Amino acid sequence: MPDTQAASGRVTGSRASDPTVPGDGGDTPAPGTGAESGIGRASDARRADRLLLEVLHRSGRWPAVYAVAALAGAVVELLLPGALGRAVDVLVTPGAATGDAFLICVALVVTVVACDAVAVLAAGAGGAQAARWLRERVVRHVLAVGPAISRRFPAGDLVTRAGANAEEVGAAPEALITAVALLVPAGGSLIALALIDPWLAVAFSAGLVLIGIVLRAFLRETTSVATGYQEAQSDIASRMVDALSGARTIAAAGTEDLETRRVLAPLTRLREYGMALWSVNARAGVQAAIVVPLLETAVIGVGGIRLSAGELSVGELFAAARYAVLGAGIGSALGYLNRLGRARSAARRVHQVLRRPAVAYGEHDPRDQGPGRLELRDVTVSVEGKPVLRDIDLVVPGGAAMAVVGRSGSGKSLLAAVAGRLTDPDRGEVLLDGVPLRRLSRTALRRSVAYAFGRPVLFGSTLAEAITVERPSGVARGAARAAAADAFIRRLPHSYDTPIDEAPMSGGERQRIGLARAFAHGGRLLILDDATSSLDTVTEHQVARALTEELRDRTRVIVAHRAATAARADLVAWLEGGRIRGLGPHDVLWRDPAYRAVFQITGAGPG
Amino acid sequence: MRVRDLLWQAVRRRPRHLARLLCWSFAEAAPSFVSGQAIAHALDDGFGSGRPLVGLGWLMILAAAWLTAALGARQVLLAIAGIVEPFRDTLLRQVVEGTLHRTATSGMRPDTGAVARLNRQVELARDSFGAVIAVVRSFLFSIMGVVFGVLTLMGAVLPLVVLPLLAGLSLFLMSLPAMARLQRRLILAEERTASSVAAMVDGLRDVAACGAEERVAAGVQQDVEFQARTSQALARLTAVRTLSLAVGGWLPILMVLAATPALVRDGATAGIILGTLTYVAQSLTPALGSLVQGVGVNGVRLVVALERIVTTSARPPATSTGSADMPRGMLLRLRGVTFAYGPDADPVVSDLDLAVRDGDHLAVVGPSGIGKSTVAALIAGILRPDGGRILIGGVPVDAIDRAAMCRARVLIPQEAYVFRGTLGENLTYMAEGRSQADIDKAVDAVGMTELAARLGGCAAEVDPSELSAGERQLIALTRAYLSPARLVLLDEATCHLDPAAEARAEEAFAARDGTLIVIAHRLTSALRARRVLVMDGARAQVGTHEEMVAASPLYRDLMGRWEAPVTAEA
Repeated sequence: MPDTQAASGRVTGSRASDPTVPGDGGDTPAPGTGAESGIGRASDARRADRLLLEVLHRSGRWPAVYAVAALAGAVVELLLPGALGRAVDVLVTPGAATGDAFLICVALVVTVVACDAVAVLAAGAGGAQAARWLRERVVRHVLAVGPAISRRFPAGDLVTRAGANAEEVGAAPEALITAVALLVPAGGSLIALALIDPWLAVAFSAGLVLIGIVLRAFLRETTSVATGYQEAQSDIASRMVDALSGARTIAAAGTEDLETRRVLAPLTRLREYGMALWSVNARAGVQAAIVVPLLETAVIGVGGIRLSAGELSVGELFAAARYAVLGAGIGSALGYLNRLGRARSAARRVHQVLRRPAVAYGEHDPRDQGPGRLELRDVTVSVEGKPVLRDIDLVVPGGAAMAVVGRSGSGKSLLAAVAGRLTDPDRGEVLLDGVPLRRLSRTALRRSVAYAFGRPVLFGSTLAEAITVERPSGVARGAARAAAADAFIRRLPHSYDTPIDEAPMSGGERQRIGLARAFAHGGRLLILDDATSSLDTVTEHQVARALTEELRDRTRVIVAHRAATAARADLVAWLEGGRIRGLGPHDVLWRDPAYRAVFQITGAGPG
Repeated sequence: MRVRDLLWQAVRRRPRHLARLLCWSFAEAAPSFVSGQAIAHALDDGFGSGRPLVGLGWLMILAAAWLTAALGARQVLLAIAGIVEPFRDTLLRQVVEGTLHRTATSGMRPDTGAVARLNRQVELARDSFGAVIAVVRSFLFSIMGVVFGVLTLMGAVLPLVVLPLLAGLSLFLMSLPAMARLQRRLILAEERTASSVAAMVDGLRDVAACGAEERVAAGVQQDVEFQARTSQALARLTAVRTLSLAVGGWLPILMVLAATPALVRDGATAGIILGTLTYVAQSLTPALGSLVQGVGVNGVRLVVALERIVTTSARPPATSTGSADMPRGMLLRLRGVTFAYGPDADPVVSDLDLAVRDGDHLAVVGPSGIGKSTVAALIAGILRPDGGRILIGGVPVDAIDRAAMCRARVLIPQEAYVFRGTLGENLTYMAEGRSQADIDKAVDAVGMTELAARLGGCAAEVDPSELSAGERQLIALTRAYLSPARLVLLDEATCHLDPAAEARAEEAFAARDGTLIVIAHRLTSALRARRVLVMDGARAQVGTHEEMVAASPLYRDLMGRWEAPVTAEA
């Protein structure tokens, strides 16, 4: 079975799954580690190992239970072939006293089964408990670090770290113990074989070398074919995404069947690679499958010769055959060691997330809300070492509206982020009603500042929840009306109770839900970061009216592209190259041709 | 049951591979028959009676059986590939077809993540189907080999082997439904955790801005906890299940041992006992183990994946289209048309009356979300009204043959569709076989000459991700211009063009033969139209620009603002 997906290599809580199957996700080089020094990396690895130890600790008593069960099971498993061999010898001899041989076998079998059952339970339950603890910790930490963490790790990468990697770390105790537990019978078998007859051990060792060679060849060959297969797969996927983006066009043109053919064009290529993958696997699988039986046959052959020489009994021959099979399990032990290696690198990746510093909030929680006077004092903000905003000094009086304009890349969004502490300045201070934002407690800060974005991400189960978030549900409707969203929400299948992911929304409609969320929030400072860019003129006009009438008691910071928006604001901050080029009313700035040029449209691109 | 049909068809459609699979399975099962026999003879006739060469001879036979089995296993795997690969193709086709048709019908666009998940389900289904075929088949053949092998060694031993096996098997089958339930719950829980973590990561900025950290953390933790509880329950059940393996795999060994003195009295040799034990230890126990693992894990995974594929890729019932030909005249008439997106929803369009003459130029104006796009989709016949009638040339839209309808009208939505292919393929998407001269004329009329030249002409490959939204719109507009349709519906199809480019494109369509209906993004579109439909939510009014300025307060208000001094609008 070609194993091309990380998903199919998932741990299922059963020891029987093959740990030697290659390929799993999450091995991509971690961004954010490139700049680390060698020393930092070494101590990083130590701290990652400490994380593994902590996971072990947090798994409760399960790892201990597992260790006892697995090791006891391994030892008993090692004793069993010998006992069975002795029982065979005793029982096939007519008239011999059967003695305890049979009862010992029964006892050993019962112990093996019991140990196995307990081990399965302990491994599954312990891994689940550890993964859960680690995942919760990662989730809490990611939320505490906030949006800053997205600059460090791409979204998909972060999901892998909190998901698959946490799971791998959780399985680390199990992998370690299993590897040890598998080494016991593997190593023990070799000793047992040597004890029965040294020649058996020689035959066995020679065979083992063969296994190693075969497994290595298998790993090399699979990867190249798998890559071709994955490329064909992603070709189909991206054609599919293309076609879905044109869903309305396709529906209107009635070209669904044409599109199906187009999307599936790489299917023949996929099939070719698929078959090649199967045949590589078939070849390698066959090689792997034949080694153990041949090893066993060789051991029996050598044992048989010793038997006819009178050096070995029938029971010992049987025991030797079983030991050969048991000893071949060393391959699986290596597989588990490999898994432990993966758990270590997963721990490092999780640790890199946990190492990001959380945002520190102050204690200050002013009882009476001020008018919302916003002040930026000598603010400089850098992104990846380069200053993007420089020496910004400005004051927005309480209840005033300030538009932020400038060409793209001039730092508008960063100004919006720093004004409500979604980002901290590298230098300077941002104050709301005279209190530095850093001194406010998290609840006080978030109660005071509301944000709306160009591409808002909505959460909550229904649209009503997406708007109200932490506020009482009664405010949804009024806020939606101010954001010109009420009419279209009421036309959705279940009105305000429509689940977010079942609401067909255009970019403009989503934007209006985001606006409604900010309006419902009710803080004294309202920051709109490009939040009306996808609205048509009529709707934007309605929202603008709400901003100047219903919401006029709040301080507003509005990042805008349109001159009309700037014209309605009390004050315009004109940014250029991260600095303030002009600060004043729109009609004063308008006299400057360079200011007017900011609003000019270039080319056919989006405005 | 759809899932069962799917699997059954996949196997039945490949009779050649099925035959190959069964034939080679015999070869693969050779050791399970030969092993015990070879060991028994090697011992009794060879090593045990002082003839080591005979013993080695029997072991060579055993080795040969293993080699045969290896060759057989390879062929078996290829035969499984011959069944499973076409199965993957079928599933993929179903997913693509179903998703495209469904998206086209519902207008609900699945996100790219959902597409990726669906693709992964297909891969999962393929892999686990292959595994299940391999495991079940190998189990059956191994058991057959063991039964025949034991019978030929000594018939009396058979019950000692088979009875515990059957007991173990039935224990396993009894645990299977509960196991399957938990396994399925775990798969779903894993997916839910992954998607809630992904949602959290996507929304970090918004979560921080809303101060909703606690709430979001609690939501994710609920999923994490549920997953942990489910995997613990699964671990408990798996532990209990190892008992069935013990009964089926270990009990035969103990029973044979217990019966050995009696068997020896009945004439069993040491070789026979050892042979039987070899059968159990070497063939039966591993076969049972992989069956339990294979069916218990892969089987459930297969069913879950298939169920997901079947439900999410089901093609919507084809909307019954009529068979009437397109009428000659293109007079468009809406009579009392009402439409809502759900039983609990306010109607988007209610009781709308409208008549558009052939060759007319109508602009539709109103706040977004008020139902302008819905009106366009209703006229195009993509949506069916809940009440009222829509007639073209006197024939109801739903009575007209779909293909004819698709030739007669074209609807260009706001999000222009450009696919990977040549520019020419993109432009003639709805008008195959147009001459180069026609194409050039259209390119010039709509105003994309410069863009076409920059892209390198009709033969050049285009990559939609390298085009701006405005450039994509120009391509879609030219495509519509080239189509044979007499009714053109532009649903904010020029919103990413600058005002001058928009004017040029709209004028080209106005000069083109046929009817033009423009859903206006900017109000300037209304000034160019012959008539204007104003939708303000409460009602819809239609008339010339002057008439609407006089009759509609909303229109007057909008136009007043529009003509205000601040004109530099993007």
